[in-house]
Amino acid sequence: MGVNLLPIEMDEVRRRLGREPNEAEWKVLDAVWSEHCSYKSSKVFLKSFPTEGENVVMGIEDWQDAGAIDIGDGWAIVLKVESHNHPSAVDPFNGAATGVGGIIRDIISKGAKPIALLDMIRVGDIRSDRTRWLLKNIIAGIAFYGNSIGVPVVGGELAFDESFNDNPLVDVACVGVVRKDKIIPSVVKEPGLKLVLVGLTGVDGLGGASFASRKLSGEDEIGAVQIADPFAGKIVLDATLEVSDKVEAIKDLGGGGLAVAVTEIANGLGAIVNIEKIPLRVKGMDPIDIVVSETQERMLYAVKPNKVDEVCEIFKQYEYPCTVIGEIVKDPYIKFRYNNKDIVTLPSDILLNPPRFIWPIRRKEKDSVKKETKSSISLKDALYTVLSHPDLVSKEWVYSQYDYEVNTSTVVKPGEADSAVLLLPNGKLLAVKGDANPDLCEEDSYECGKGIFAEAYRNLASVGAKGIVAVDHLQFGDPKKPEVYNDFVDAVRGIGEAARFFNIPIVGGKVSFYNENNRGIPIKPTPLIVMAGIVQGKFLRNRVEEDTYIVLLGYTRGELGGSLFSKIFNVISDVPKVRLQEDLLASQVVLELINDEKIIFAKDVNKGGLAYSLFSIVHNGFGVSINDKNVIADTDDLKRILFSESSGRFILLSNDPDWIIRKANSKGIVASVIGNVDKNSGVLEINGEKFDLNKLVDYYRYFLEEEMING
Amino acid sequence: MIAVIKFPGTTCESDVYKALLEAGVQAKVVKHQEFDPDKYSGVILPGGFSFGDYLRAGSIASNTEAVKLVKEIADNGKPVIGICNGFQILVESGLLKGALLPNLKLRFISKWTYLKVVRFDTVLTRGLGKNIIRMPIAHAEGRYYIDDVDYAKSHMVIQYVDEMGKPTEKANPNGSLLNIASVANEEGNVIGLMPHPERASFKLISPDGSTDGLLLLRGLAKWA
Repeated sequence: MGVNLLPIEMDEVRRRLGREPNEAEWKVLDAVWSEHCSYKSSKVFLKSFPTEGENVVMGIEDWQDAGAIDIGDGWAIVLKVESHNHPSAVDPFNGAATGVGGIIRDIISKGAKPIALLDMIRVGDIRSDRTRWLLKNIIAGIAFYGNSIGVPVVGGELAFDESFNDNPLVDVACVGVVRKDKIIPSVVKEPGLKLVLVGLTGVDGLGGASFASRKLSGEDEIGAVQIADPFAGKIVLDATLEVSDKVEAIKDLGGGGLAVAVTEIANGLGAIVNIEKIPLRVKGMDPIDIVVSETQERMLYAVKPNKVDEVCEIFKQYEYPCTVIGEIVKDPYIKFRYNNKDIVTLPSDILLNPPRFIWPIRRKEKDSVKKETKSSISLKDALYTVLSHPDLVSKEWVYSQYDYEVNTSTVVKPGEADSAVLLLPNGKLLAVKGDANPDLCEEDSYECGKGIFAEAYRNLASVGAKGIVAVDHLQFGDPKKPEVYNDFVDAVRGIGEAARFFNIPIVGGKVSFYNENNRGIPIKPTPLIVMAGIVQGKFLRNRVEEDTYIVLLGYTRGELGGSLFSKIFNVISDVPKVRLQEDLLASQVVLELINDEKIIFAKDVNKGGLAYSLFSIVHNGFGVSINDKNVIADTDDLKRILFSESSGRFILLSNDPDWIIRKANSKGIVASVIGNVDKNSGVLEINGEKFDLNKLVDYYRYFLEEEMING
Repeated sequence: MIAVIKFPGTTCESDVYKALLEAGVQAKVVKHQEFDPDKYSGVILPGGFSFGDYLRAGSIASNTEAVKLVKEIADNGKPVIGICNGFQILVESGLLKGALLPNLKLRFISKWTYLKVVRFDTVLTRGLGKNIIRMPIAHAEGRYYIDDVDYAKSHMVIQYVDEMGKPTEKANPNGSLLNIASVANEEGNVIGLMPHPERASFKLISPDGSTDGLLLLRGLAKWA
């Protein structure tokens, strides 16, 4: 295993340490200073995110395993997002499964009970055998782990783009609940505590954090992937929640294994770990491999000496290994000892403070190959081509593999609305959603950063919830490439700006760089936002009824840049400017309409534009008739009106449209009746011209199922 | 008092417990090592992945001391209900005849189903107000099979049906023999069912507000 540190980092180590580290120490530094664990290329910019708020119980500043926010009645929710992109490219089943295990351990390390998972998956072209193989195994891996551990997967995204052919993005978010006064820290404050490790350490996941901090080599890297054992994960979950009030700090063993976990839990104090005490899954492991192994299903607890037996007793009931491996000391050095010989002695300060980098930025050259909107595309072709894109088909094949109702708290289920809604222990309803838009980010990652934040906010509003907290995941190529870094900085600026505008703190996040294939081609920039919100009174369970009016809330702007239409037909057009105020006001109107019971259906207008929002009504078994002259838009071009993905808009169904228009106008938002729902099942009528979409409806329902049977 | 037995890997014990309370049935979640049959008037084996289901669904749990004690309860005529993984444990242990094979689609399937109750002499279905009910399923190995079709016909309790109440092939989510979703023993006190009544016991989380699961669980009230 080589060391991935840059020459200037190695020189800095030597200078700060005053000597040449030995090989074992290099390996520890390689893990702890990896991009994956240290955020060395991103931290400066992440500092710009708003992280404070009256309800924030634990935020980024505390840099705990996960952030927490007060939801009233003495309860807090804990939220975190992560990915397992690199492992999933190599071993999709275990890569995706261990991603679920890892995020769950982040949540339980706060003493919180995990109540929901979201999975956001991006893979390449579905016509490729490899993509289908990856997808089938990614979903099976998530299902295997999530189902076995009894935490429902309640939502997510599945999208396809050739830029993810070699680098699938496998994001997973988890929400947990905990009594506000029972949140456990991930760092210690005093020396003298015992370090207790549960679980066995094996040879899987060697150098995983380092692996995730470089581009895929295309060579055999399967040894860097961890193997999933959800049954052990379930024991760790149940037992950790049982011991949580008996320990001082809990740390999940994630990237970088014990090297990182011990360094971070000590948090500037020192620690001594006796490697020979660590229970192993295989014999004869090299001592330093034990320290950097990323074997799953392990947790580290800092425990008062007199409580150790009590903690381990609970694990004994489950026949799960529980061992004191060392202790926290005052002397600020991290020491790994093997049979009384110190093999690693590194100052905590050096480990915790890697160099920070700010790389050069350069705006990328605009693609000049794209052409102006082709007038030759017929409306029918446009509708059929866009609406049959695999991003827009039913995802039932995916979510039906998830046990999304375990815990009997999933109120609005996958496929029912733009957000999932969950019942919380205090009786309140929580809505959650994850959003990304790589096509838009490829065009303009600043507008995109704002756009995905606003979209998540609208998605929550569409079920009756007001966003209260967000976490982000920033996924890019090699940060040392100026165009890639430029996209990263712009995305951070956009997200931060929107978060400040909506007054929603970002309580945690993750950065994943080096998402490039072995030819050095990066993925489209893919920042992702996961937002949670609380239902403000009533919630909306979407239903469609005949003879209801279709109301469009918000301005339609013919900016097609970054849209699905523009991607498919190679159209050059302005990138939508995100007018955050329109998103906020329209969302407020929707919340009021839900509480006044004036609407029976609400959908945010986004991917696929108005055309897809209308199709969402059609595939429920109804017909839709609209007149585009009634759409309040800045263009007369029907295709722009139908396929623009400009923000700040909702499609609503109501029997009282005048009331809605008055309400919207009183808030400074435009709204108009653009048509109505009728019983002509499967027919979309635009300005009197009828499009029979029945075949598309069948395609929508069965495409993924049939495509994946042949996978 | 009904015991809801939790093995390592069980995931639905709290859901079943909550639903029993909702149905007015006294219950307690009991770890499998701590199960004392003398303290309980009936047993529910809830869903999940007992012992990770690493050998075959329900197989390891069916060989535990707890399941031997469950057999005693069953022999005494008291109710023993297996839901999902619990049903798998009941067939693995021989408390119910037949087997639960992998779904025809060879994957986990989670969805709401229409069901028809065909036997009304069991502890769960006696006096049931209606025969077409809705409950969700969530399993990878729920295809009921037995080589004795006559046995299956006379012992089946619930079938998967379409909206009209017909046991069509299309309405069969996993390929079960005769669309079987639930079977009981001769006496009707030992019942296994793949659908989850506890997930159809709360108005708020039910897609159409129905709580048909409660109708079944209430059958246990007089035992508790």
